[in-house]
Amino acid sequence: MISEAEYRAVTDFLYKEARLADESRYDDWEALWEDDGVYWVPATTSDDADPLRHISYIYDNRARIATRVKLLKSGYRYSQVPASSLRRVISNVEIEKTATGEFVVGSNFLLLELSLQAQHEVHLWGGRTTHKLRWVNDELKMFEKKVVLVTAGEAISNLTFLI
Amino acid sequence: MQQETQLRYEGLIKDDRIHGSLYTDPRIFEEELEKIFYHGWVFIGHDSEIPKPGDFITRSIGRQPVVMVRGKDGDISVLLNRCAHRGSTVCAAERGNARVFTCPYHGWTYDLSGTLLSASYAGAYDQTFDKQAHGLPRASRVGSYRGFVFACFGQESMSLDDHLGSAKKLIDRACDLSPEGEIELTAGWVRHRFHANWKMLPENDTDGYHLGFTHAGFIKVIQSQYENFTVDENKVDGVLRDWGNGHTEIDFAQGYKRPFDWFGGGPEGKFAHYLSAMEQHYGRAAAQQRSFDGPPHAIIFPNLFLAEMNIVIFQPVRVDECIQWHTPMFLKGVPEFNTRLLRQSEGALGPASFIVPEDATIASRNQIGLEARTPEWLEVSRGAHREQVDSGGRRVSHLTDETTNRGFWRHYRNVMDAR
Repeated sequence: MISEAEYRAVTDFLYKEARLADESRYDDWEALWEDDGVYWVPATTSDDADPLRHISYIYDNRARIATRVKLLKSGYRYSQVPASSLRRVISNVEIEKTATGEFVVGSNFLLLELSLQAQHEVHLWGGRTTHKLRWVNDELKMFEKKVVLVTAGEAISNLTFLI
Repeated sequence: MQQETQLRYEGLIKDDRIHGSLYTDPRIFEEELEKIFYHGWVFIGHDSEIPKPGDFITRSIGRQPVVMVRGKDGDISVLLNRCAHRGSTVCAAERGNARVFTCPYHGWTYDLSGTLLSASYAGAYDQTFDKQAHGLPRASRVGSYRGFVFACFGQESMSLDDHLGSAKKLIDRACDLSPEGEIELTAGWVRHRFHANWKMLPENDTDGYHLGFTHAGFIKVIQSQYENFTVDENKVDGVLRDWGNGHTEIDFAQGYKRPFDWFGGGPEGKFAHYLSAMEQHYGRAAAQQRSFDGPPHAIIFPNLFLAEMNIVIFQPVRVDECIQWHTPMFLKGVPEFNTRLLRQSEGALGPASFIVPEDATIASRNQIGLEARTPEWLEVSRGAHREQVDSGGRRVSHLTDETTNRGFWRHYRNVMDAR
């Protein structure tokens, strides 16, 4: 059972992470990651998705997360030049605390993306995210983020913003 | 100007320029579906996707829904996913295993080769009802080369062998990287939607000129063998090849510096098991050559891209929309490569990767720019004066030239004007 304070801290983290991603604040977003971070966006909604056997959209270790951010900051990532205009809404938050004091957090999201790089198109993205968080010096940081899109198994457009 | 009832592609495709309407005219798109996708050889899928009897996958060829299925006897059928009765699809899943195909609408049931087994409540049909004429439509021709299954739904008279021609060697180059001579496509597919005409994909995929520009970010930020190909024009090694019949290639091998550059390199120990297996099967010289040269980077007209250690399919949707599919190309006998292949595949291809999204954005911008009424023509003259012809009769050129584009368009014009 988690406390009110813990609930508040976890949801504050979710909202902050979302805002940084929405606003393409790449450095601040990257700073939320732990060294053992894994960022996973499967290419299927199936429960038995296995990133070691199946292709994903994103399966980044911490080094690749850093590369992803560097590329976005390079100014030459044309798929995000200019950056898409983004806002997401988070809801249906469910939090579990592990025996070692870490948090496993499930939440739903709906994200409105206006792509600005070529044809201006509004895309609706949505799904369920699982975050794994831990306390580091009184701050929550994430060491795992798995995003299962409702449209994971479909043909999707450029996904080079932070989902 | 008088409306023409039949388009003439020789008027739209010259030796050094092509007409912008080829990307924007919906009438041309419809003709392409007919002449290229419904009447020519197209790639459907790979053997390894349907290993067991009853295994099936569904694909779209143009707008036609297709099922590729392995029968009880092991033979592969390519069928249209369309009940003979009232046109529903008999197969809703993308892949699976079935003993029979049963239509959900009225329960008509077909075997795995598309033969009608039973029409429900058959008493309503008298002796004039010919079951044979009410099967799932079969592709008129199906052929396969090293597990790559192709089909033709129309009256193509050319055999698959003739369509592939010497470009079979490109497929060989892929399969022969496996000590057992086989690739395996078991990792699942990613589908990437482009807001652009489908022909921009084969054009772009064998375009060596754009690497340092479209992919400037990738080149700056990520260390890779592709750096070798964005240096001073006179120092770029590697060539383009036009294999004829619309098949085109970028051959990076001459620009590699060490074995396995195409695979991200690594200490020798990493590849010891692979090399020893390759030597056992092919001999030392071939093993070493292949580990240096690596996989192909080539288009098999119209819809297959041997994308180095990936297999890619182009799916046309509308004149300004297409989908690029990809899956990593696993090598039978070398499972230890698979996790690296997955991570590299994700790094290069797909909507969140570090390379192809820029191609998608550029293609979309092209699609916008091409609505400009002037100029009407696109330049494809680059390097025309410096092409050479090799001993196999193939045009060969500098990596940054447009020999491959001209080869694609030459074949496209022949096909579109012939039918």
